[in-house]
Amino acid sequence: MTLERDLNGLPREKLAEVLASFKDPEVFNAVTGPWKSRIVWQDGMRAKAFMRNHVVEMDEPGDLTATDVAASAHEQLLSAIGSCMTVGFVVNATQKGVKIYDLEVAVEGYFDNIRKWAGVEDQGNPGYGRISAKCFVRADADEPTLREIWRLAVEGSPVTQSVINPTAVTTDFEMVG
Amino acid sequence: MADSTLFPVTVVGSWPRSTELVRALRKKEEGEITLAEFNAVADGEVLATIKAQEEAGVDIISDGEQRRDNFYSFAVDKLSGMQLMKVSELLNYSKDRARMEEVLRALDVPAFAIKSPIVVDTIGKRQGLAVDELAFMKEHTDRPVKVPLPGPYMLTRSSWFEGLSDKVYPTPEDLAKDVVAILREEIVTLRDQGAAFIQLDEPILSQVVFGEESTETFMCAALPNRRDPTEELEMAVRLMNETTEGISGIKTGVHICRGNWSRREDVLLSGNYGPMLPYLMQMNIDQLVLECATPRAGEMEVFKEYANEKEIGLGVVNPRTDEIEPPQQIVDRVKELLQYFDPEKIYLNPDCGFGTFAERNVNTSEIAAKKLKAMSEAAAILRAEYA
Repeated sequence: MTLERDLNGLPREKLAEVLASFKDPEVFNAVTGPWKSRIVWQDGMRAKAFMRNHVVEMDEPGDLTATDVAASAHEQLLSAIGSCMTVGFVVNATQKGVKIYDLEVAVEGYFDNIRKWAGVEDQGNPGYGRISAKCFVRADADEPTLREIWRLAVEGSPVTQSVINPTAVTTDFEMVG
Repeated sequence: MADSTLFPVTVVGSWPRSTELVRALRKKEEGEITLAEFNAVADGEVLATIKAQEEAGVDIISDGEQRRDNFYSFAVDKLSGMQLMKVSELLNYSKDRARMEEVLRALDVPAFAIKSPIVVDTIGKRQGLAVDELAFMKEHTDRPVKVPLPGPYMLTRSSWFEGLSDKVYPTPEDLAKDVVAILREEIVTLRDQGAAFIQLDEPILSQVVFGEESTETFMCAALPNRRDPTEELEMAVRLMNETTEGISGIKTGVHICRGNWSRREDVLLSGNYGPMLPYLMQMNIDQLVLECATPRAGEMEVFKEYANEKEIGLGVVNPRTDEIEPPQQIVDRVKELLQYFDPEKIYLNPDCGFGTFAERNVNTSEIAAKKLKAMSEAAAILRAEYA
């Protein structure tokens, strides 16, 4: 069946049905997880991340002696935050019947103490200490409506909220061969 | 009347767009309304623009560029082989995306908001660039009409983008040949149809001379590939002279400013005309239409060694401020230039348009009209003194 993608490239009616189905425990369990990614080292600082049938390359900037053939993981985290907000914005706008002409999210972050990553200091948080995101949108709605859509997108963003809220990350290790 | 009256008052081109007009423009771009439907809205806006200028006492008027998205992007509607592309689209083809990102961050603008006409095929004239605009003006005003056109250097440099245009035109110079031919034909047609003044806009020359990476403007999407400023200025002179060579019977001018996309003075370019004047004076045009009201444009003394070499369209009001310049302040500014230029060589104009980009009016039409009125009053004072 071909869906009629009638607003913002999405099938508005079907989307509403799908979102409503999250109330169903079975659907809820299925979409809760596990979500998976397998990262395979290639060479130098290059790696490939395999997610379902998709692959994303990662590398590091040349001034770190890397080959810089792809964005780094920490840049992709920013992209993931911005992309997740973007999806949330489009979903919420579509549900409200708002047509979007252009949408852009500019994200930037600053590390707290990157010296820990470099191994020249033991203390501190090597991760981002602050991240900011700015949304630019041109759409058929007034500003209060669009601000509300943005609020819903940010507050409902799984990736953004994973960063904002403490998330338990368990690790394991196995030596092979 | 222009040449028989001292200190003619004129405009640089654009006038603030109404919300209704911008909406109609977007709907036309989205294919939601026809060109005729758009023109029905734009006609009314042009009539209002004519009235505002006439009532303010402007001697040589424009149509306020009301039908244009901006002063050069409108070329995509008039020429074949061009496509209006957002910087967000150009990012797919850019060889230096990191630099483009830096510029976007510095300007705090989204990539989708900046559009350039990009050459994607051999260019050709679909219809005259401004023939329709002039025809409407001639029907509705008896005043002499100024028609702003994108200059040959800007049209070439802003529309040639590596990765897209080089498939048809290997270098900007190859594209320039067709651009020059189209502009030459356009100027002759506009002259024959009664235009009084053709202004060729080359504002990106200030970016070439004064721009640094942190102040790139995307006024010219291709400039991230720019070369040595001297080389660029020489190219601008050559293209201008090839465009205007042998054409007589119409006043021609070149407009230069330092950016008109923001009311924030700190993000606009700065520098006096000193480095540019040796090149501008070589251009085969009658008038230099210059931004001079803002301190960022530097001192008048740089004109000293070029006394009376060309007419000067002196920028005497800042289009981006709410304060109306007192007529006496305008008179005083003109008198600074009168040290080096005769009264008949000086025209009065704002530093730039009041709405260079359709969605970024830099002022309201009410304030714009008051500023023009102040210019007319200043011209009256000067005429009484120098007649």
